[in-house]
Amino acid sequence: MTASPRALRSGRVLAGLALVLFVGICAILAPLIAPHDPAEQNLLAILLPPAWALDGSPVFPLGTDSLGRCVLSRLIYGARTAMSVAIVASVGAMLLGSILAHVCGYFGGALDWVVGRAVDVWMSFPPVILSLILMVGLGTGLDKMILAIILVDWTRFCRVLRSEVLVVTQRDYVTAARLLGFTHWQTITREILPATLPLLITLLSLEMGIAVVVEAILSFVGMGVKPEQAAWGQMIADARQYVYQSPWNLLLPMLAIILAVSGFNLLGDGLRRVLDVRLAELGR
Amino acid sequence: MDNVLEARDLAVGANIDGALLPALRDVSFRLAPGRILGVVGESGAGKSMIGRAIAHLLPPGFAITAGSLEFEGRDLTDMRVRDRRALLGRAIAFIPQGPLSALNPMATIGRQFNEHLARQHIRRRAGRRERALAMLAAAQLFNGSQVLELYPHQLSGGMCQRVLIAMAFASHPRLVVADEPTTALDVTIQMRIVELIAQMQRQHGTALIFITHDLRLAAHICDDIMVMYAGRAIEYGPARKVLSAPAHPYTRCLQLANPAVTAKGNALYLLPEQMPSLRELTRIPGCHFAPRCPVATRRCRLGEPPNIMTGARHWAACIRSEVAAKIEAPLELPVATAGAVPSAPLLEVQNLQKRYVTLRPMLGSATEITAVSNATFGIEPAELVGLVGESGSGKSTLARLLLGLEQPSAGRILLHGKDLTECSARSRRLRVANIQMVFQDPQSALNPRRRIAGIVTQAMEAGSLRAPWEERLERARVLLADMGLAADFATRYPAHLSGGQRQRVNIARALCKLPKILVADEIVSGLDVSVQAQLLYLLLRLRDEFHFAMLFISHDLAVVRHLCSRVLVMYRGEIVEQGPTESVFAQPQHPHTRALLGAVATDGSNINRNSGKR
Repeated sequence: MTASPRALRSGRVLAGLALVLFVGICAILAPLIAPHDPAEQNLLAILLPPAWALDGSPVFPLGTDSLGRCVLSRLIYGARTAMSVAIVASVGAMLLGSILAHVCGYFGGALDWVVGRAVDVWMSFPPVILSLILMVGLGTGLDKMILAIILVDWTRFCRVLRSEVLVVTQRDYVTAARLLGFTHWQTITREILPATLPLLITLLSLEMGIAVVVEAILSFVGMGVKPEQAAWGQMIADARQYVYQSPWNLLLPMLAIILAVSGFNLLGDGLRRVLDVRLAELGR
Repeated sequence: MDNVLEARDLAVGANIDGALLPALRDVSFRLAPGRILGVVGESGAGKSMIGRAIAHLLPPGFAITAGSLEFEGRDLTDMRVRDRRALLGRAIAFIPQGPLSALNPMATIGRQFNEHLARQHIRRRAGRRERALAMLAAAQLFNGSQVLELYPHQLSGGMCQRVLIAMAFASHPRLVVADEPTTALDVTIQMRIVELIAQMQRQHGTALIFITHDLRLAAHICDDIMVMYAGRAIEYGPARKVLSAPAHPYTRCLQLANPAVTAKGNALYLLPEQMPSLRELTRIPGCHFAPRCPVATRRCRLGEPPNIMTGARHWAACIRSEVAAKIEAPLELPVATAGAVPSAPLLEVQNLQKRYVTLRPMLGSATEITAVSNATFGIEPAELVGLVGESGSGKSTLARLLLGLEQPSAGRILLHGKDLTECSARSRRLRVANIQMVFQDPQSALNPRRRIAGIVTQAMEAGSLRAPWEERLERARVLLADMGLAADFATRYPAHLSGGQRQRVNIARALCKLPKILVADEIVSGLDVSVQAQLLYLLLRLRDEFHFAMLFISHDLAVVRHLCSRVLVMYRGEIVEQGPTESVFAQPQHPHTRALLGAVATDGSNINRNSGKR
């Protein structure tokens, strides 16, 4: 339809897409563009400032950390961790949440009640604490972290989408599809899902930003990825001790997080404005 | 300065995508104190623009581009904001279309009335209350002190409208603008509301602008009528003259397109196509009505006709006004005929009942509502059966029961003698093949994300057997041709279609697999008169071609009388009367049927017998 070219004309969508693509390409091409192995230590060159500073060395463009590891390489490999968590965890949470939302919103009844109350209870926990508890139970590692984020954040999708499904189910064309002999499965996938898809895409994009933040938090407290894997949160944690000698080590991973999250948020906000019919009407 | 309101060559322009299009042109009229001017036209004619121009509430992008609008000698178009605010709501009052949305749902009637009166400089609170009670009583709300305590949602639509009428007249306005005040209301009370407005208007000596799409209703209370078409006033004159001797072909066609409730069987006049949009208007040379006009000549297409006087205070923008009144509907149109009674009825409904039980476990109580009780009737093959009743009488619940969307509490539904009562998989298969529904609201009934071809052939992708796309496209072309729609509609989306076209697509979808019974729920009620006539004709033609029976649910008795051979009257969940349309309409037995019939405006009636004299 007309949504795709219209989406590309929005400044927010373009800016968000550019940021996300930049981080994404860094993540995909990490082995090719990183100047060093992110785990390679060089104890002769610890806490070097970036190349443009007075004592900088062109071998380490963004300097080194307290163990003499290349900050740029670690940032690039950290993007890998962040992006894989962002994409896999959000898609997982989206699948779990939206399937439940569609089933509950469409059929209603006892299942809807049970899931609704479960979401209520789930959302009354602070999400960060909940994911920390899950990580303690599950152990560290990328896959465990993804699972933890899915288990915490499916409720966002479930609650928001369910109300949208309720509204769409009231439309006469959904009744018409049933009268024409559509099965429940056909009605949900062909009549309801296309109507809820814009909201779903928007939520997914925002959720990716949230997943990046959660990943950073978990890595920061050492409950995230395994120690040998590079992650932005971990870099911030490492840099804390030497913040006065080498503030760069702290600021650069923070900047990376800000870039990635604002990219996803801009994209999500832009998509919401473009895809939401009500807002599109107002903007005219 | 004897006129309350005088419009001189008023023009409103709409700025759409950078182009300035005329939404209203050359509107001139004079309104004297105590007179009623009816502004009549179909949707898009620009009739509401007049009310909005007076209130200075034009939609974004619209602006008054020329002319003047003088209220008691002061031009409303270039007035200071403060001065205008002093007039609006006091000297000029409005009665809105949707009474429920016009009242604040969060405040009681009493508070809203009080605030309104506080603006009229009534100082004492007790005085304001006294005045509110007096006005409510005048609006025939006699338990006024009780009404003042209530919130809008606790009142019916009719009562809300009475409150708004009371508020409008409370400030002794010199001018009241009523924009479609009865469209959102039930038929049975429409007439009473209109008569209330006229009565209040007479008591207060107010000038009234009555905006409506219903020519007959306008003729009922108005002194003068102005007919609008495509942003221009095309006929103006005393109500009786406009109705008895219309001087513009459009007025005459509107009159002929509207089925009459009193007389049987006049064929409806079918105006082809629909009113041009603002954008299309600029491409029509000459008279804007000429492309649809039955008496247009070559001269009509050369230039726009001036307003030509045809009698005392009666003019029309037509160079052939002398032939306008002579237009007649063609006689050879299919008209509903009473079907011969075959041995086996198609659908039998026996003692059908639907009760809703609302359990409130906290209170340990249960309320039971009987939506349909003891409905017994049959539908013959190819028979058109009308189902009438006011809103809340259980018409739609009955339809949902027939379609299997609800499970009946008791009774039986038989199709060809086969039991359909249980909502089982078998009865669902039978229903899908035999009973289809046409929905009321074409906006909500068509999936905005599907192409028209996909919508009308949706039945072919149901279940496990999916027809190939070429086959469906082929079927879609045939169906669209049957509906009188061009083949290139197949690839468009519903958003590109007008209301009437959408309703045709809606019908086409139901007919795709040639069901035996159509259930049509108020399918013409939201449409303009000329589009409604087209659809009624289409339904009759399709019935003759495909021999389906139809349960036609409507609150519009005239339409039912025109279309259906048999009629069921529902009242509070019960079918209180059924029989051949003619005998039910001629000799109604049940008091409710009589009340329904009595509530409809008839052609010759006018409550202001002084119309025409000055």
